Amino acid sequence: MIKEFNILITGVGGQGVILMSELLGRAAVKDGLRVRGSEILGMAVRGGSVTSIVRLGDEVYGPLIPMGKCDVLIGMEPSEALRNITYLSRSSLAIVNTAVTIPFTVSIGESKYPSLEEILKKLGEAAGKVITLDANQIAQEAGSLLATNLVMLGALFGTKKLPIGIETIKESIQVRFPAKTAPVNIKAFDLGYQACQQALK
Amino acid sequence: MQELTVSSDTPGERLFVLGNEAIARGAIEAGVQVAAAYPGTPSSEILETLASVAKELDIYVEWSVNEKVAFEVALAASICGLRAMASMKHVGVNVAHDPLMTASYIGAKGGLVLVSADDPGAWSSQNEQDNRYIALQGYIPVLEPSSVQEAKDMMADAFKLSEEFKHLFMLRSVTRIGHARGDIVLGEISKERRKGQFKKDRTWLVYTPAGARRNRPLMLERFEAIKKAVNTLPYNQLRLADSAKLGIIACGLSYSYALEAVKWLEIEDRVSILKIGTPHPLPEELVIRLLKSVGEILVVEELDPFVELQVKAIAGEHNIPVRIHGKDLVPRIGELSTRAVTEAIARLTGSKPPVDFARLDKLEQEVAPLLPWRPPTLCPGCPHRASFHAITMAARRVARDYGKDVEPIYPSDIGCYTLGTNPPLEAVDTCICMGGGFGIANGLAHVVDAPIITHLGDSTFFHAGIPPLINAVYNKAKITMVILDNSATAMTGFQPHPGTGYTASGEEAVSLKPEDVARACGVKFVEVVDPFDLKTATDTIEKALRFDGPAVIVCRRLCAIIDQREKRKRKEEVVPYFVDQDKCNIKCNACIKLLGCPAIIKQEDKTIIDSSLCTGCGVCAQVCPYKAILLR
Repeated sequence: MIKEFNILITGVGGQGVILMSELLGRAAVKDGLRVRGSEILGMAVRGGSVTSIVRLGDEVYGPLIPMGKCDVLIGMEPSEALRNITYLSRSSLAIVNTAVTIPFTVSIGESKYPSLEEILKKLGEAAGKVITLDANQIAQEAGSLLATNLVMLGALFGTKKLPIGIETIKESIQVRFPAKTAPVNIKAFDLGYQACQQALK
Repeated sequence: MQELTVSSDTPGERLFVLGNEAIARGAIEAGVQVAAAYPGTPSSEILETLASVAKELDIYVEWSVNEKVAFEVALAASICGLRAMASMKHVGVNVAHDPLMTASYIGAKGGLVLVSADDPGAWSSQNEQDNRYIALQGYIPVLEPSSVQEAKDMMADAFKLSEEFKHLFMLRSVTRIGHARGDIVLGEISKERRKGQFKKDRTWLVYTPAGARRNRPLMLERFEAIKKAVNTLPYNQLRLADSAKLGIIACGLSYSYALEAVKWLEIEDRVSILKIGTPHPLPEELVIRLLKSVGEILVVEELDPFVELQVKAIAGEHNIPVRIHGKDLVPRIGELSTRAVTEAIARLTGSKPPVDFARLDKLEQEVAPLLPWRPPTLCPGCPHRASFHAITMAARRVARDYGKDVEPIYPSDIGCYTLGTNPPLEAVDTCICMGGGFGIANGLAHVVDAPIITHLGDSTFFHAGIPPLINAVYNKAKITMVILDNSATAMTGFQPHPGTGYTASGEEAVSLKPEDVARACGVKFVEVVDPFDLKTATDTIEKALRFDGPAVIVCRRLCAIIDQREKRKRKEEVVPYFVDQDKCNIKCNACIKLLGCPAIIKQEDKTIIDSSLCTGCGVCAQVCPYKAILLR
């Protein structure tokens, strides 16, 4: 039995954030865990900030992670990881995709995008540990940029902190994707897993 | 092993679902036979889920033209003895309000459940209205779940309760229930299928003044019976702690935050908790027992002090000397959180929160200036962007004739296109309610001297746009009404509507054309344009604006998301545009300033098009004064 394990996944609409939490939730239930979670998104259109929450454990009641109680934060996009900094504490781990997605407001001069160094510095001050990887690059190596979320999911399992079996999550991936695209997604997952292991060495 | 789904008849198994799927599953377990809805976040997935299993389980499912009709469809089925439901977002209930207020006089024969999906925080809505007040007004009992599991269980029970008490019930969901995810334990699926029978009974179903007077006392009797019964429903639970000084009354989802807060503060043995699953009517006996056992009460509920006011009234009526807190400590605005509830409880118990919230608030403030603004935006290739460009160009041309400083007015509506309010498009001046753009335009026409060009989407047009269109013809409002026809209810997830040619269950249907409706309603200027042909679209809109009388323009182009999906299916190549750096004047920025397409990216020394985002719509190529945007 586990009491509480909180995962926060954040990114930009279209990056497959919600799909990651669906895969995690299904696998968790298969492994006999209790799951609660929710997604935070504005109007359901592409391009906006998206956050999804997956909470595992028997003593979890609310659908949201209380501030400072996130165990692992998955940042599909660096500035979106920063946006959720208050969920972190010194015992949290943050895994950040270093590939940035510049919002159109920057192009039209309505806002500025911070430097990656600055983002990682802030996250480093708040979290216990920050792992970075270029998940977009790795996804392309796996065969499709669309599999970036699977790279990050692999990295999450690469931390070996999760109470979900690796075979269970892979089974969920196999079931979720059509036979044609499943191998690319599994490969992306494996590469993400390895990248995380490498970073933790 | 076969994968479990919402239609698996495997009692006891656990399934991971979205809250709205859980609500649908509850209805399935209860043997619902008729379900109707109009899409609206956060309610849409309920009917989508039912539609996906409609044939398999023999359920009649429809996307109705609006919430009023959806509720009437369900009401009719209930009158004929079938279990029926209507689901809608909170503001959708406003549209259904008229039949709803008399439906409580009718009650229910077949179990009748209205699902109201409220949206605290207004994540995707125009307001934060608390629909428990609508229930109060209509004597409609409310079930309010605290979790995804309970949403399923309550929905299934709501049909049974409705039949037991011959009265309609409301299930009040909120965003953090309907769009929460969790594991649920499946129950048995009822296989009972009834045949609808309409029994003529004018004393029951004809609401003349005499009918109203006859049925109101009967309605009140039913409600009194329900009021007694809620005290023993399992959804209301009182847990008294010995020597507790504080009692917490937590309603619906707030109960989950309260439980977490109490655990977090490690004061489980020092507070008594009353979980409220029926905020209306309240389990009065349980409330009185709690009030008598403690010195102080904290009512925890989202949005308005609905339970709080009732609890205060009960305390007053029964002369119970207890201090009652609620909205003095718990926010009235937005969603609650474990933090907000923890802080409120900590204030009353003197306990120390486990996390230094002040430090985290400071951190948030520190980080805020670093964060780029990332609002949701019209997709790359969205036809609305082109339509807005054409609308504003044409309207500005015409505005000059009205006077030097006259600006065109753009009343808008509810849909993806509301995003056109943001820079650089700025083509949305009002957004109030479904169909409200046309209605506001009608009023403006009689009081201001400026070009008035209003727009709404195709689904919104059928929902609530036709009466104000007729009104403009009848009352001679000189306005231009634009229907942004992307053949989809795009904002809520591409549900079909009367213009799409198919129904909720995927059957072929008529495909109504807004231009035909407009002509039939007597509009004398009706034109259909392709927004991707900017020049023709702009010129035609200009003509409409100069027309002496109400005019209608239909901007027709398939939603970019659907278009891209279909192209992928057909294996059709999407050819992106690119910026020829030799021709581009880096100081110009016309493409960015006029369109704000997310695929056009300004870099330090050049402007580029992100080929992974570009859909090849070619609109930017048409606005580039240097002809520097070209097809690859």
